Amino acid sequence: MIKNPIYINGIGVISIQEPLSDDGLLNPINYNKPYVRCLDPKFKDYINPMVARRMSPIVKRAIVTAKYAVKQSGIDNPDAIITGTGLGCVQDTEKFLDAMIRNEEKFMQPAFFIQSTHNTISSQIAINLGCKAYNNTFIHRGVSFENALFDALLQMNKPQFSSALVTGSDEMTPSYFKLLKRLNYWKDEVPDTLNIVHGKESIGSFATEGSVSFMLAKSKTSNSYAKIVDVDLKYMNNPDSLDYIVRFLKQNELEINDVDVLLTGMNGDVENDNVYKTLFSTFGEDKIGIYRNVCGEFYTSSAYGLYAAATCINMSIVPKYLKYNFVEKKDPKIILIYNHFKSKDYSLILLKKC
Amino acid sequence: MTENIVVSGMGTISGIGNNVEETLDSLLNMRCAIKGLKHINSIHELLCAEVQYPDSKMKEVLGMSQDEVVTRTTLMGIHAVKEAMENANLTTKSGLRIALLNGTTVGGMEKSELYYFDFLENDKYNHFIEAHDCGACSEKIADFFDCFSYVGTTSTACSSAANAIMLGADLIRNGVVDIAIAGGSECITKFHLNGFNSLMILDKDICRPFDNTRAGLNLGEGAAYLVLESEKLAKQRKIKPLCLLSGYANACDAYHQTASSPEGDGAVLAMKNALTNSNLKPDDIDYINAHGTGTVNNDESEGAAIMKVFNDNIPYVSSTKSITGHTTSASGSIESVISILAMKNSFVPGNFNFKTKIDKLSFVPVQTPLLNIELKNILSNSFGFGGNNSSLIFSKLDKND
Repeated sequence: MIKNPIYINGIGVISIQEPLSDDGLLNPINYNKPYVRCLDPKFKDYINPMVARRMSPIVKRAIVTAKYAVKQSGIDNPDAIITGTGLGCVQDTEKFLDAMIRNEEKFMQPAFFIQSTHNTISSQIAINLGCKAYNNTFIHRGVSFENALFDALLQMNKPQFSSALVTGSDEMTPSYFKLLKRLNYWKDEVPDTLNIVHGKESIGSFATEGSVSFMLAKSKTSNSYAKIVDVDLKYMNNPDSLDYIVRFLKQNELEINDVDVLLTGMNGDVENDNVYKTLFSTFGEDKIGIYRNVCGEFYTSSAYGLYAAATCINMSIVPKYLKYNFVEKKDPKIILIYNHFKSKDYSLILLKKC
Repeated sequence: MTENIVVSGMGTISGIGNNVEETLDSLLNMRCAIKGLKHINSIHELLCAEVQYPDSKMKEVLGMSQDEVVTRTTLMGIHAVKEAMENANLTTKSGLRIALLNGTTVGGMEKSELYYFDFLENDKYNHFIEAHDCGACSEKIADFFDCFSYVGTTSTACSSAANAIMLGADLIRNGVVDIAIAGGSECITKFHLNGFNSLMILDKDICRPFDNTRAGLNLGEGAAYLVLESEKLAKQRKIKPLCLLSGYANACDAYHQTASSPEGDGAVLAMKNALTNSNLKPDDIDYINAHGTGTVNNDESEGAAIMKVFNDNIPYVSSTKSITGHTTSASGSIESVISILAMKNSFVPGNFNFKTKIDKLSFVPVQTPLLNIELKNILSNSFGFGGNNSSLIFSKLDKND
């Protein structure tokens, strides 16, 4: 689908690991509970405190990761700002909703409504960067980030677009954690998050949040992490994973053996993980990568997966906690990121060393 | 990349009609749908343009069980997609790769605002928790038809549907899908009714877009989708397309979260870039279906932007929100349907309720429908909160009619 090679030239990441740092990949923090919130940087180092005062954490995080990625890439003004978010600005939505119900629609203040729409994130990034370029927001469950990434690649197939700033961002409020708990999204107890995919088979994962921004460009720089070779996004009903992957690799003139790591979205939920386990024998356990044990489960976790894959290629190492068998792997050149949401939404991202 | 994208079918439901035919009739007869609220309970006595069908009627029409767990936004979406597919002679068994691209912002909020405290305290309405997010709404629409290989959801507030339409064209041009059904759906919720009300941008009376005395918008609701495909595929399928989607662009005002810049910078960029994209000059545009919400801020800013792009030669302009209300996320596709109806039936839709010219603007909108006017190229504007501005251009096919 991609007409020109696309390089990842800058990344900013805030998650449950050390913010704006790769420490989380090398020496991840292990947690012992099913709900963990972000470790935030000092926002005032990045956003004027007067402006930041009104912003909810999700907006602040996204602005910081966006600015960080922009700075790293050396590009001042991207040709597109695109965000994927599964739930958008939940905190402000809940505040407005709660007040509306409690006060029976009386005395409503607009502040929380103004920042409740999902596109607040992309829009505030644009205002902060002073960027009037193409601006879009995608909300599509567990592939919201891939929706945004896919759009960025579609735009960059046009000659007038040479760069795009793509962000995946979600927040998990205590209330929304509770709501999704009712739907068995989360386990009751998680004694050891880094080991979640090896625990006793059960439903649910552990809830987290995060923001990851990427500066994509058509030109390679000395800071380029990796090259995005191809991306696929499909709506399917429980397809054969191997068949899907083989066909995608074939389009890119590759075979299973060429892939150094298959980075899966395993998160400890037995139904979710079984989709990936069907691939273990073909790829061999040593090629199976994981990352949700490190970043946890949020609707845009796959953005963290892309960050992890690109950084592994750039560092020439897959650290042990990013491998299913906890054995580090040297010099990965091709990483395939495979993600699905509830066996309906499927995505593949192919990365190569550049 | 420069493959022609045609509109081969469309479907809609809104206050002014439960289908395309009724919509045309309302436009020609200036039937305004803005009335008292019926489908939601609010303490505010505000005028809105609601879809006439209650949920139960839509379920009945769609052959759905009355017990089906489904939100109003989704129901309206299914209703309009169904009409669009029938109009484009497209069945669920076509074997083609079809995308459903849905623009929405409220998603399942209409049920969440009723059951939110239950969500927090008990398991009674768990099924509506899963229906809350916008992506769930799109998938529920897709699953009704079970023929989509790509489902995506855009959410840029009031330009969501316009951005879904652009994405559809891009997916086809890049060979990702053969056909895209793109648009948006949004029902009125207490949540955004109170939001807009707290921002003091709702008129207590019927809105007056582009009028000097305008005092805000009226909310509307509805859904609309266009069936997009390459001209080549339409020919192969022996479909006579309605028109070309000849150009489109998206730009950001990057000014304020809810207000537009006084000069309409983002709007100027969206319109100019859409013109460039379609290889048309400003003079080629015969009619602008304006975003024209009726708020003090929008109409002045959009008006200034139109003056900047079109200078002394301003085409016919009208805002059909004066009869449909502001259908928020769905407005981009509902107004696309209206624009295409105007083109196919050679008339300029009227801007209801206009009396006095805005001092700062050089033009006035068309007030009553102008009949027998050939419209070769139509520009449709959709501007959202956060400065998410999008413009679409529809053009007559050379040998059309």
